[in-house]
Amino acid sequence: MPMASQTGRNEGAVGGSVLRLDRVSKFYGAKVALDDVSLTVPDNAYVALLGASGSGKTVLLRTIAGFETLDRGVITLKGKPVNEVPAHRRAIGFVFQNFALFPHLSVVDNVAFGLKNAPGVKLDARAIDTKVRAMIELVGLSGLEGRAVTAISGGQRQRVALARTLVTEPQLVLLDEPLGALDANLRSRMCGELRRIRERLGVTFLHVTGSETEALAMGDQVIVLDQGRIAQIGQPDEVYTRPLDARVARFLNCYNLIEGRVEGRGFATEGRLLPCAQIGPAGAEIYALRQDLIEVAPPAQGPNEGPRLPVTFVASEYSGPSITSFFKLPSGAVITVENHLSHRDPQVFEPGRSYDLTWKVDDALILARGTGARA
Amino acid sequence: MTALPTTTATAAAEASSNKRSRTPYLLIAPGVIWMLLFLVLPILMMVYVSFWTQTTFKIEPILTTKSWQTFFASDTYLGALWTTVRIWLIVLAATLLVGYPTALFVGLFVRNKTTATALLVLCVIPFWTSFLIRVLAWRPMLGKEGAINIILQHLHIVSQPIDALLFTELSVVIGMTQIYCVFMVGPIAFMLGRIDPSLIEAARDLGAGFGRIFRTIIFPLSLPGVVVGAIFVSVMVLGEFATAAALSGRKVNLLGNIIVTQVGSLKWAFAAVAGVVLTVIMGVVVAALLRLVDLKREL
Repeated sequence: MPMASQTGRNEGAVGGSVLRLDRVSKFYGAKVALDDVSLTVPDNAYVALLGASGSGKTVLLRTIAGFETLDRGVITLKGKPVNEVPAHRRAIGFVFQNFALFPHLSVVDNVAFGLKNAPGVKLDARAIDTKVRAMIELVGLSGLEGRAVTAISGGQRQRVALARTLVTEPQLVLLDEPLGALDANLRSRMCGELRRIRERLGVTFLHVTGSETEALAMGDQVIVLDQGRIAQIGQPDEVYTRPLDARVARFLNCYNLIEGRVEGRGFATEGRLLPCAQIGPAGAEIYALRQDLIEVAPPAQGPNEGPRLPVTFVASEYSGPSITSFFKLPSGAVITVENHLSHRDPQVFEPGRSYDLTWKVDDALILARGTGARA
Repeated sequence: MTALPTTTATAAAEASSNKRSRTPYLLIAPGVIWMLLFLVLPILMMVYVSFWTQTTFKIEPILTTKSWQTFFASDTYLGALWTTVRIWLIVLAATLLVGYPTALFVGLFVRNKTTATALLVLCVIPFWTSFLIRVLAWRPMLGKEGAINIILQHLHIVSQPIDALLFTELSVVIGMTQIYCVFMVGPIAFMLGRIDPSLIEAARDLGAGFGRIFRTIIFPLSLPGVVVGAIFVSVMVLGEFATAAALSGRKVNLLGNIIVTQVGSLKWAFAAVAGVVLTVIMGVVVAALLRLVDLKREL
């Protein structure tokens, strides 16, 4: 567990972390939804929780919020265990994927809901109004205060949902695929907005997403969840360039994964022994190669310098800034090569012809299969 | 050659669009004719007849307000009017009081749709027997030597049987509440079932406890169901006469009972007056209930 050491370091240092999970497990009958999850979420940070559907990311979020009970483990919020604290007393904000706006209330009343109905200190109407208007302005909804939430657009609803949560000043905001219900254009705009709003308020966002690009773009830290377990925790570039196992690499959607096995100082696959810079973990049997770090060359006759694989060209796909080409290995496996057009003119390949793929030894990773095989 | 098919096609299209524009009217025609013949016309007739001259043995189409004056001068009729309104309000409150929690359980706490439907069907089971049996079955329950008195005496809660249970206003209210409660439960449970569970979670997350959530989210969102249920119950209770006749021992006279007696003694004009009064009350009640929510928007 990569986080075990970090958890240890943060023990007692309450100020640095807003949320801590210790060996949290959750079962639905025989199905394991969360399997021994431990993690620490730092204060004032944007943390992206990345996982495929069914990886347990929404369950994890709902558990933290208090909508689901734990079967094992401890959740600590600002140094206090909250296992027994009901959802409405946890002071955690939750932004729902479908926004869950109250359909019978106007924009203002939706945003003011938490201030009017929370237990504890009662604010007077003036104070509530001031706070609500400031928050509405922060999320850029000025002028829509009196509108019914059924009469505004998807992006505006997203902002209302955000404002409604943020106005209660939670220490931690959980966002459950907050951009999932928006179209692509709006999504990229809201990405920037979310970061800006978070930085202004200095709270911690824990953003659950199934999109690797979203996670890498948004997070100061990325947590990869796979089959109810933490597969990797790290900075976005760390996760991107150094995935811990083949499942994480596959999920990042930018790696070619070639099956084989470690033999001596090399990696045996496709009837060849590829040289390796590092040997990788025990039982490693996947050779991972980033799609944008592969060179295509005419078939070479001479002696091999560095790794090289013979392939046949299949087809290309043009996608604006880059061109993606597909090659077939002798075993039939397909290798994807991405060329960014800003770097050079596109190479033209002939379908059915043989080429050689080359790359730098240092760019290749030798990975274990991942949690699925380990379990 | 090219023009001809086009013209035919246009003509065909026109014909079909004509046909289509006539179709909705054809669909609505039977209903409209039926309602005109058997609802609007009789109501107009009723209003007309209420102004006819009633003598002991016959009724003549000579217009007079005598029946109306008699109605509003008579303690019996005004008493019946007042009893009708009172019983209606009590039964409406009772069905809401019994029905809302039931609906809350079925619509909100039972998240399995199949179970919820099964529970609603369970509510309807009493309707598999006839109305009369359902009403009369209350007699052996509530009577002086009825089930409830026997049980209470056996448990030594009371020493003397309670006679107030049967042939009183209470028994009428009990009977009507039981019969009409399901009409309150159904619409409310339907509206509650449509509330997105994440709304309640969102409200919890924003710090609201259950009482708050109920007041600010659940109840307002279920209000259309309450209104529809209240309309059902009101219309049926206001027009009631059988339950009152069977369970009150003729002590409770509703406007419906007045109409039945008047028609029985061929006093058509009086019956018509009572009928008009009842219809007006129902109209006012329904209109008032509909003002509470915008049903068009909600449904």
